[in-house]
Amino acid sequence: MLYEYLQDAFFAAIAAIGFASISNPPRRAYLYCALIAAIGHSSRFLMMNESVLGLHIVIATTLASLLIGVLAVLLSPLAKMPAETCLFPSLLPMIPGIYAYKTFGGLVMCMYHGSAGEFNHYFYLFASNGITCLFILLGMVTGATIPIFMLKKISFQATR
Amino acid sequence: MNTMAERLQTVEIAATDQPCEAPSALKEISLFLSDYASWLLGCGSTCIRLEHNVGRMARAWNCQAVMTILPRHIHMTVNSLDHSQSFTYITATGCNGISFDINSRLSSLSWEVADGRIDFNEARKRFSAITASKAENANTVLLLASLANASFCRLFGGDWPAMSVVFLATLCGMYVKQLMLRRRADLRVTFILCAFISAVLGAGAGLFGLGHTPEIAVATSVLYLVPGIPFLNSFSDMLAGHYICSFSRFIHAVILTCCLSAGLCAGLLTMNLGMF
Repeated sequence: MLYEYLQDAFFAAIAAIGFASISNPPRRAYLYCALIAAIGHSSRFLMMNESVLGLHIVIATTLASLLIGVLAVLLSPLAKMPAETCLFPSLLPMIPGIYAYKTFGGLVMCMYHGSAGEFNHYFYLFASNGITCLFILLGMVTGATIPIFMLKKISFQATR
Repeated sequence: MNTMAERLQTVEIAATDQPCEAPSALKEISLFLSDYASWLLGCGSTCIRLEHNVGRMARAWNCQAVMTILPRHIHMTVNSLDHSQSFTYITATGCNGISFDINSRLSSLSWEVADGRIDFNEARKRFSAITASKAENANTVLLLASLANASFCRLFGGDWPAMSVVFLATLCGMYVKQLMLRRRADLRVTFILCAFISAVLGAGAGLFGLGHTPEIAVATSVLYLVPGIPFLNSFSDMLAGHYICSFSRFIHAVILTCCLSAGLCAGLLTMNLGMF
């Protein structure tokens, strides 16, 4: 369990650094992105784990995103950069890529299978994955953006 | 320090003697603020940050700035506090692509102006230096993005062979993306092509029987193309009440996601792979 937890945090940190590099952040941002992503993603891992809290992926993602948002806002004055610089790359490892892939896959397969049974099966896959994907995304953006608006004074004075 | 605010005030006081000077000072400020806003929007700032930054600089220089933020343009009117003069400019967004480095430095610049630490000429010099700064080394980005996508594969439960395949697929796809964007190719065509290349290479894990999670390799091979930042900015703009900008950013992100999906689908069809 501890090994899996640390592994989750480690790979989330690498993913955050890599995705951050695409958006040209200041060099000092990499460390903060890695730290925030590692804490956020591993906390989601713990929340979803049956032996800890066993939360549904949507709720766990929303809470983890809220944590990421709060951390990004609180650390942004220390890093002297806007909270979004650390926030957005740290969130990206939580993007529901597999659900999105299966949603798209279900849609394509619906097109290829005309019989009612097969169509219903693939439409079910499309709808169930699509709904989960949509709610994860909504939870992510809501959880992460709210701290910026709740802690406006810190968020917009970070670069002062 | 002879700040622009002082200059403007001085000019306004002396306006009866030299009527042309006040408008010219305000004109310079208007031009600067328009350029500043267009760059900040272009480098991926949220609308609320743009309003805050421009507003605080305008206040520091004793004027008011009101703007309409459109997807690719900024329509800004700057007027003196007594509303005796005003200038309106429409500028196209500057900066090519998202850059949080420029975003951070432009935000710092706005605070330096607001706190009176630099005057107008110094602000203009620093603005030019910031906008002339170069992006991160392309090879570093290529390597980091490939490692990130391979880690992403691991987070979704992919094994080491799948991670290696995803690393290679991302490396090639991202290289083509950089190459095409450098040659100013259409962004949508670039996304379709890169997704196609990455999907074809990502399918290699299944084709050659590498590891036990080939489906995760295919699914994650194109995820480096997901336009996450436009999606997040769109939501932030929506919360701030900037619905037009929010909607345009959302549509932009949806179009790129559709292109990515089309490339992925074409790649899988080419490799004769099902999606489940």
